[in-house]
Amino acid sequence: MRNFKKYFILSIFLLLLQGCSKKSDDDLIIIWHNMRPEEKQVLQDQINEFMKLNPGFKVIELYKETEEMRSGFIIAAIGGQGPDLIYGPSDQIGPFEEMQIIIPLDSLFEQEYFEKFNSRALIRSNGKIWQLADKLGNHLTLVYNKKFIQTPPKTDKELIELGKQNTIDFDGDGKIDRYGLVWNYTEPYFFIPFLTGFGGWIFDENYRPTLNTLQMINALNFIKDLRDKYKIIPNEADYDIADMLFKEGKAAMIINGDWSWSSYGNAGIDYGIAPLPIIESTGLHCKPMVAPKGYSINANVKPEKIKKIKKLLEFLLSPEKQLETASKVKTFPSRKEAYDEEMFKSDEVLVNSQVQIQNGVGLPIVTEMRAIWDAMRPPYQAVLGGAILPENAAKEMQLLAERKIKEIREENEQSTFGFYFQFFLLALTVFLLFLIRKQIYAFIKNLKEDLFVYALTLPALIILLAVILYPFVYNVILSFSNMSLSKIRGWSIIGLHQYYKVFQEQQFYSVFIKTLIWTFINVFFHVTIGVALAILLNRDLPGKSIFRVLLILPWAIPQYITALTWRGMFNYEYGAINIILTKIFGLGPVEWLKSPTEAFAAAITTNIWLGFPFMMVIALGALQSIPQELYEAADIDGAKWRHKLFNITIPLIKPVMIPAIVLGVIWTFNNLNVIWLVSNAGEPSDSTHILVSYVYKAAFNFYRFGFAAAFSMIIFLILFAFNIFVMRKSKAEESVY
Amino acid sequence: MKKKYLTTILIYAVLIVVTLATIYPIINVFTISIRPNNKLFSTTLEIIPEDWTFNQYIELFANRPFLLWTWNSFIISLVVTFTGVALASTTGYALSRYKFVGKKSILFGLLTTQIFPATMLLLPMYIMLIKLQLLNSYIGIIIVYSATALPFCIWQMKGYYDTIPYSLEESARIDGCNRWQAFYIIVLPLAAPALVITALFSFMTAWSEYIVAAQILQDTDLYTLPLGIKSFQSNMSTEWGLYAAASLVVSIPVVILFVILSRWLVSGLTLGSVKG
Repeated sequence: MRNFKKYFILSIFLLLLQGCSKKSDDDLIIIWHNMRPEEKQVLQDQINEFMKLNPGFKVIELYKETEEMRSGFIIAAIGGQGPDLIYGPSDQIGPFEEMQIIIPLDSLFEQEYFEKFNSRALIRSNGKIWQLADKLGNHLTLVYNKKFIQTPPKTDKELIELGKQNTIDFDGDGKIDRYGLVWNYTEPYFFIPFLTGFGGWIFDENYRPTLNTLQMINALNFIKDLRDKYKIIPNEADYDIADMLFKEGKAAMIINGDWSWSSYGNAGIDYGIAPLPIIESTGLHCKPMVAPKGYSINANVKPEKIKKIKKLLEFLLSPEKQLETASKVKTFPSRKEAYDEEMFKSDEVLVNSQVQIQNGVGLPIVTEMRAIWDAMRPPYQAVLGGAILPENAAKEMQLLAERKIKEIREENEQSTFGFYFQFFLLALTVFLLFLIRKQIYAFIKNLKEDLFVYALTLPALIILLAVILYPFVYNVILSFSNMSLSKIRGWSIIGLHQYYKVFQEQQFYSVFIKTLIWTFINVFFHVTIGVALAILLNRDLPGKSIFRVLLILPWAIPQYITALTWRGMFNYEYGAINIILTKIFGLGPVEWLKSPTEAFAAAITTNIWLGFPFMMVIALGALQSIPQELYEAADIDGAKWRHKLFNITIPLIKPVMIPAIVLGVIWTFNNLNVIWLVSNAGEPSDSTHILVSYVYKAAFNFYRFGFAAAFSMIIFLILFAFNIFVMRKSKAEESVY
Repeated sequence: MKKKYLTTILIYAVLIVVTLATIYPIINVFTISIRPNNKLFSTTLEIIPEDWTFNQYIELFANRPFLLWTWNSFIISLVVTFTGVALASTTGYALSRYKFVGKKSILFGLLTTQIFPATMLLLPMYIMLIKLQLLNSYIGIIIVYSATALPFCIWQMKGYYDTIPYSLEESARIDGCNRWQAFYIIVLPLAAPALVITALFSFMTAWSEYIVAAQILQDTDLYTLPLGIKSFQSNMSTEWGLYAAASLVVSIPVVILFVILSRWLVSGLTLGSVKG
């Protein structure tokens, strides 16, 4: 115990040495970006060069994953902080501009400077330039393996022909050993080129969705035919599967973007790039979206710093630096001076990349875009899953898009009502305080008398109150407000409207039921498997400690990678589960991730695997407290194992298991990670959701913060009721409380 | 006798099957870590791919600040563990032994804190930390992590204290100890097993937490392991090999901690069986 104090003090000391709060440095420029590792390395080198040339400047780049960067930046900027520069694709500008967390670049540079850039690199909105791009990219192209294909297809008919020639089952075992074409075809972004190829587009000049069109239906049918009629693409292929197949030389062609090409070279594939084909029936090119990627300035940046930022940008955006990047990682620059360079005429990849960019469409930057993606995805995946017809899918997409756009732009209702509501809330709070005034007096009196007790408990309580109470109250207030995209800063209290909306939400009840099923099945198996294993491992078995350590591993290894590994195991063609089902049990393979029930089952299975070790450990501990004599007495009385289990073991481990089970229920109910990872954020068609994942999507994909707050409160109240139920029931089991 | 053999064989069979099913995905992770070219999946089920390599592990330690992250995580987790143990042991004791105003609310409140979905808390927590200037500092993170782990730990400690008879402290007081000494010298050592669970839980909470750390820590020098590992992950260009290798390495300290602590788990808890 004396050592305890020593170590504690030592670690505090080390801690203070290590990571004290870094004061904000006025000379420090922070860039957030989402560049892939190779690009990031180039940026790092260029920044180092800049700092050498300009002593007195300090620049730091920080990588963040795209979605996280977006939500992280929003949170940081609203809080008055955040990086000075944010680098990412152009479509993040829409929301940022609306939330007023970035400032335009028009004041930084002269008109002549802007004219040196490819016009697509200047991201304009409402007459101002919000982002200056140094690359045009993210465009999908056709990538082909030169070992199998010498001349890439120019039209869709040629594509199908080449695909058929290259979809081969070498050893006649019924499994395709090489596919003609693979790609992440279940993701809308990867579907867009075919939509444009058939003459369709996602919205009109006023950004109203135009998804229910004949062109959409034709494009949907085309994709279906590729798989079902011509059979040149795999039954199930997400991004990683397609990528892997091409890298292993098991696919002749892949459709993928510029970020991926060099990785194929690294994997030893002799690859070639070609523009996406022309659809013969329309005569149109398949046009992918092209996204400029560039820098925007945080609205919180102090004016004095702007000059420094300008210098840095001039350096990074110069033709020399852009060419450097282009030659190293095959990106496409935005400075017109760069286009005269030799490499754009001789490097096969860059030449074809340029052609594709010219044949591409700019990625829309408006906020509605997000609604379009989320509206397209579920019906699109349902069509591919065979659940609905293309005609109905197109209708669905249109309806969903219109609804979601309305939700993002939810208007401020009855502000006068909100005014009165505020008074009501205030009065309610005062009234509640008045009700418990007796307790408050008693508390103060008691405090003076029994200081020791309170000294024991207060430190913990203060921390808990501070960390939990403030966010909780904030959330309660938000739930009565209309905080959303258009009202990030100027939000106001509007009453119970958000709660009303939650219950009106179509999917609320089905998602709620799903959550209950999810929780019940998971906890049931966690406990039964955990307790059963603990009982087995409690015996005198040589080698049991090895089993114990191995069985702990699902808990010890980071959830992220194991959940994704499980997702891989559920793949239709290559996953271990189906292979075991077919080879060992002789059953048919199951399309796990494409059907709602099966996908849900997959997520549950993964979570059971992740969760039983915890219960096993608790049960092991609980079992230790049962005296052996009880079992021996039972043996003498001739009890069978059933009697011993139900009359001795289970009752006596209850006191320790019940708290763990209650917590298990709560944690499982709120477990966002596993659902999100195994089903890839709700696939198929947004049907694999539990309440928390639904809230997460609402909050961070649609910026409906007020709505999400109300939703969170409802989840809270549900579990709160559960708590009360548990507390009442276990009043009998006084040993716990 | 024969029946006993049969039962034992049956038990081993069950254990082996379950263990194999349990570690199969983990073996998969290992396969990903020795497979070159960042392939998350594979068409074959083979465990050791033909072109296996330990390069990712070397890359991890040589070219990435993996050791720095480990050190950072270690410091944070250690302090959280100590704070957790210190605060949970005292608070749990008070809740076990004394009746006082607010006791019921505190007990209930502890349970309630577990309910909040993380989504609810992110934005306000961020704003609060900014106002307190605790952003990008370890103090902020430690406070949040302690708050996360405390409720469960306090509950555990209290439950365990309840099984230790009060007569021990009574005799200590008679012998002249004051209340603190009775607690610190007599009772606390007996609660060692529960302290162990508390320590383990607090450590795990801090060691593997991602969301809060991502929001608070902005300086790459301050990154903890989860943040560092996440940086290998990119929207469509994840360095799976590195990611898998790092995940396995990261679990080793946890497993070691388990092995060490499971000793205490067994012997200590028997002390609690003073039932009537």
